[in-house]
Amino acid sequence: MSTADHQANHDVVKHSERHEGPQKHIIVFIFSIILTAIAFAAVSAGGVNAAFTVILLLVMAVLQVLVQLGYWMHLKDRGHLMPILFMIGGFFVAGTAIVTALYWVWW
Amino acid sequence: MSTTHAETVDGALPHEPEKATLEGRNKVLSFWLFLGGEAVLFGTLFATFLALRNQTNEGPTAGELFQLPMTAAATLILLVSSLTSVFAVQAMHRHKVAALRVWLMITVLLGLGFLGLEIYEFAEYVRAEKFGMTTSAFSSAFYTLVGFHGAHVAFGVLWISVLIGQLYKKGLTVVTAPKVYVSAMYWHFIDVVWVFIFTVVYLLGKVG
Repeated sequence: MSTADHQANHDVVKHSERHEGPQKHIIVFIFSIILTAIAFAAVSAGGVNAAFTVILLLVMAVLQVLVQLGYWMHLKDRGHLMPILFMIGGFFVAGTAIVTALYWVWW
Repeated sequence: MSTTHAETVDGALPHEPEKATLEGRNKVLSFWLFLGGEAVLFGTLFATFLALRNQTNEGPTAGELFQLPMTAAATLILLVSSLTSVFAVQAMHRHKVAALRVWLMITVLLGLGFLGLEIYEFAEYVRAEKFGMTTSAFSSAFYTLVGFHGAHVAFGVLWISVLIGQLYKKGLTVVTAPKVYVSAMYWHFIDVVWVFIFTVVYLLGKVG
């Protein structure tokens, strides 16, 4: 194999590596649809224990948000330490506000 | 490779043009800081809503008001639009400017569909259910939270529309690419906020 061929092959490999296909994102989409469907079905069906339904809904929402932040917004990719810290900081203050408001108003 | 990026120095655009310049990388990083602030903003609105959601002042309650099929339709529209903005960024990474513009246009149209549905929903609440901004603490918290999200969608629609125009005028360059990337981040974040809205406002409202 000539050096040129080798170089060409190398480029092809690199090329396909660099251009990720849509498959991964379609899987995230289907996963999000399934989580959403479970949440809506749990509420429409009714009759289930309310406390269980609430926990189920929150778990479905958090899972969906984590997957979308990780794959669609690339937080799971290399070099995203600062963005992750920004988001953790934002969600931490948001969560504190929610807990505080509930505690402050109703207990 | 297309010829629409004549503005770059050597005529060739790198694979991820949004990260080609320090300015582009700084724009993406600082947009994450902005999104952290947005999370705080929506967190406080969620806190208000959760604290006041049962204070209906003898007006309509969440259980009486919300129609889950309409919420499901809005959710599907926004989720699909989030996927189409992923495809827009992927087209950008392949330097396919025409495909990039088409995906952005589809995203804008879906955003408009979502807005239309929300405007119809609010109008129905006000007209048929007598559920206005000042009806109860629940109604004020509801319209503020969901309306603020709707305003974000409206702003995103305007923003991405202007970007499409700029892509026609200037093409895909290391200057326009970070703008596209950052607008896609914004759009995903809007969908992330909506996940919490349909869960906390609509579905939890139905549970009671």
